[in-house]
Amino acid sequence: MKKSVIPLIVLSLIVAVTLLLSGCAAAPTPEVVEEPTKAVEVAPTATPEPEPEAEAETITVIFPQHEADLSGAFEARVREFEAQSGVKVELIQANWDSIADRVVPEMATGGSAYDVVEFDNGWVAQWCGAGWTTPLDQYMEAGYTDGMIPGLVDLFSCPDGTVHGFVWNNDTRFFMYNAAKLAEAGFDASPKTVDELIEQSKAAQEAGVVEYGMAPFWEQNWSLVNELHFWAYTFGGEFVDDEGCFLFNKDPNTLAAVQFMIDTLESGVSNPAGLTYGQPASQDVFLKGGSLFYPQAIPGLLAYAQDDTVSDVVGQIKVALVPGATPDLSASLTLPEALAIPANSQHKEAAWKYIEFMTSYETNKMLAKEIGLLPIWVDLYTDPELTALYPEWAEFSAQLETARGLSTVTWYGDFADIAMSELHKALTGGQGAQEALDAMAKGLAEFECVR
Amino acid sequence: MQDRVKFSSQRGLGLALTIPTLVAVFGTVLVPFVNSFWLSLHRRDIGRPHLDGFIGLGNYLKLLQDDRFLNSLEVTVVFSVTSVILELMLGVAIALVLNEKFKGRGFVRGLIILPWAMPSIVNAAMWQWIYNADHGALNALLSQLGLIDGYKVWLANPLTAKSLIILANVWKETPFTVLLVLAALQGIPDDIFDAAKVDGASAWQRFWTVTLRLLTPVIMVAGFLQLLWGFQTFELAYIITGGGPASANELLALRIYTQTFNSLRFGYGASIAYLTGLIILIPSIYYIRAAYRSVVEY
Amino acid sequence: MANHTNFRRMGRQVLLYLAVLIIIFWTVAPYLWLIISSFSYRIDLLQVPLRWIPARVTLDNYYELFFSRGGTNANASLFLRALGNSGVIASSTTLICLLLGVLSAYALSRLKFPGSRVYMVLMLIVQMIPPIAIIIPLYVILRRFELLDTRYGLILVYLSFILPLVVWLMRSYFGAIPSELEDAARIDGCTRLGALFRIILPLSGPGLVSVAVFAFIAAWNEYLYAFVLTTAAAKTLPVLVGEFSTKLGLEYLRIAAAGVLASLPPVILALVFQRFIIRGLTAGAVK
Repeated sequence: MKKSVIPLIVLSLIVAVTLLLSGCAAAPTPEVVEEPTKAVEVAPTATPEPEPEAEAETITVIFPQHEADLSGAFEARVREFEAQSGVKVELIQANWDSIADRVVPEMATGGSAYDVVEFDNGWVAQWCGAGWTTPLDQYMEAGYTDGMIPGLVDLFSCPDGTVHGFVWNNDTRFFMYNAAKLAEAGFDASPKTVDELIEQSKAAQEAGVVEYGMAPFWEQNWSLVNELHFWAYTFGGEFVDDEGCFLFNKDPNTLAAVQFMIDTLESGVSNPAGLTYGQPASQDVFLKGGSLFYPQAIPGLLAYAQDDTVSDVVGQIKVALVPGATPDLSASLTLPEALAIPANSQHKEAAWKYIEFMTSYETNKMLAKEIGLLPIWVDLYTDPELTALYPEWAEFSAQLETARGLSTVTWYGDFADIAMSELHKALTGGQGAQEALDAMAKGLAEFECVR
Repeated sequence: MQDRVKFSSQRGLGLALTIPTLVAVFGTVLVPFVNSFWLSLHRRDIGRPHLDGFIGLGNYLKLLQDDRFLNSLEVTVVFSVTSVILELMLGVAIALVLNEKFKGRGFVRGLIILPWAMPSIVNAAMWQWIYNADHGALNALLSQLGLIDGYKVWLANPLTAKSLIILANVWKETPFTVLLVLAALQGIPDDIFDAAKVDGASAWQRFWTVTLRLLTPVIMVAGFLQLLWGFQTFELAYIITGGGPASANELLALRIYTQTFNSLRFGYGASIAYLTGLIILIPSIYYIRAAYRSVVEY
Repeated sequence: MANHTNFRRMGRQVLLYLAVLIIIFWTVAPYLWLIISSFSYRIDLLQVPLRWIPARVTLDNYYELFFSRGGTNANASLFLRALGNSGVIASSTTLICLLLGVLSAYALSRLKFPGSRVYMVLMLIVQMIPPIAIIIPLYVILRRFELLDTRYGLILVYLSFILPLVVWLMRSYFGAIPSELEDAARIDGCTRLGALFRIILPLSGPGLVSVAVFAFIAAWNEYLYAFVLTTAAAKTLPVLVGEFSTKLGLEYLRIAAAGVLASLPPVILALVFQRFIIRGLTAGAVK
């Protein structure tokens, strides 16, 4: 390859000239002195030749590792796609943060390095506004989305009604609890309301079954804003209305949710260590039997609980509907991730084939079987083969109907940034609940709608 | 005449020797440098393209009223200055010990760079795990030694959280100072000490009057670089506490990161960086002068 | 009287070894815990009271660096590729930095030429702006020259922040060497560069070695640039290590295993170079 030779030549030139100059007998001649300068100036301008075009069409795909995918199940599907379609896939998988920090600058600077990208639910409003993604309606057949969970299609539609992404990871959160410890504390049913949750926690703590009811993940981080949404939804709270006007600082339910979070810390129901925990640390405490409830659990937590290298609570964890502020209210949070095609992709047809394959009914079912992936196709939740494998899906599908996404605003980044800071201040005792919500409204004032 | 020829050959050689470095250093970063400064004079919010435009010093004026930024600035200054002081004291002390003759000296000298050789992300993950409130090694160690009654939530308290993040930073960065000081100690001829001994100076006096004075240039370089790096620290605070509790560890690099990558305010993010740069520039000027003088005096 | 001196010397020795032990403990204790963690199951590390030597030992965390749970060795090629990238990038950067840095530092410490002071200031100003601020424009430029995700691209970027420091450090070491020695060599018929290579460099051996170690580690451990500017082909070890995480956060145990491996090469390198530091010492004593 020519590419690798040029810098080597330049480098050896520099070395040669330097050695020439470092003699110990002759005095330096002026012409030779000029040499190293010339030689080096070549270095930065020595641009490599572009690589020859590959024969097969290649698409570059980037999306995060699924937390339950320990066996490379996704990659196996990708290789299957290559075999079927003849399209080569350069696959980049990493954790969510890494993916986000690569995808966002690439999109923002109008690059075409990727053909299929991770499309997080939190980005939809912003990306729609910036026109970074390709509407998929032109590629899909009529009625293509029939049979998908409608909410998941809506969450990735732009305001003009076009669909821009299909979900590969239906990351809905569920209420899990330690049934064995709850029974030990004298309860045979999971809490139906948040009041019951508090009551059961206190009883279990008094009985010495657990030290704390919950070990929340309330570190000053993005996941804290997920928690804010989660608890607000369980209290029936709202953040913004359809016109983008603030509700979070006026809605009594949202206020009650924040107050609830503060109160659980003060009353000792929540482990104060939770103020320093992200989600993995909080799971650790639950999995070693240190807490009773895990209100906003990823579906994969059930599988972790069965693995004795990470869990002391094998066979003890169960799923129930999230307790709400009132008995008839149960809501949850969903953080789905989709695949989208950047507007500047050079291989849109192949990219669409990839998305179609990876989110198809068949692929969904296969991944569900292998790693417990939650399907996006409604029928799969009643598929006998799958329900035999995953009895908890009965609870899951009931919860799925009440799951809500994060606030869809173009300024979600700012919202999260300010919310996590003000909320953490409130949780650590620096301010009250209403004060925190007011401070958020003040910090976000430039986005408040004009009535 | 003779003098002039000599000067011009020095001049030619001087330029010939330094220009390659200049090209290598600025070849890639000059344009991004200018570009991001230009960006800092603009409003450029990726999510709101209709508001984009040149706003002069608007971002900078806004920064001066941005409480989060001012808090970050204070946090960063405290973090960096404390770290540097500890790193220098510890670094010089360790280097002096490792300069003595003892068995296995070569091995210990190699071992000492271990913390520094660790990728910063591993360092941060390691300390986060050590500081964990429910099962961390710090709690285990202190309670097994009987120093604390029960496990403590170290990172929820602003003061202990700050101290522990500084500790993690000092642990990782001190070897750099050790390395530099150790190398400088090799260059101090023994006869200087012998002369001082003959003068009847005690070990302590010799340290202050001879060793420290000779080490000053290298300590200044080390301290200055550590200060610069302190200002740019990112992973440590981001991974250990996310900048918490209640933004008590929100270093400037975290602000720049959030504003640029999450809020997508490219212009504003760039202005934080440039204002930070300007703030470090002031002590730097003094430093450059002092360093220049100390080298000339040597 | 003789006994008294012996006693004092012994006391000094005891103190010295005590200090060395404390230094070793301070340096190694957290790392030792990292190693123990990397051989443990997660649940065993969560116990209270903590067992410093867990009851069960596992190689899973290392195994997973090289083999996926499905048994394919896809991970091994990723890990080895990252290791190779880091090795090539860090050593190339170090060599280029030393070569260019030594020449510049020599000029700056010995020669009078216009702009030498401005030069030093320029070299420092490059360091003032946090890398995170220029990363996006840098990304665009590297993309234009098709240097994104290449080793050359990263080496060029690394030069921009490591080389200035090498120049600064080398200059301070050169400054400490009396210029009379050099003058003598030049009278014997050496060119300036001849004197640099024959007289000054051997004398500044320890400085040179510590600067080399510095440059190598700085390039070996750099995270932010490598993270944004590489995607697959040129991905370095710290970036790969950072990717050992799920949507929720870092996977500590795999990071521990990878971190143990990733920090070894620089340490081994430093151990090897120890000899040169000592040789530099004897060379210095000759003067």
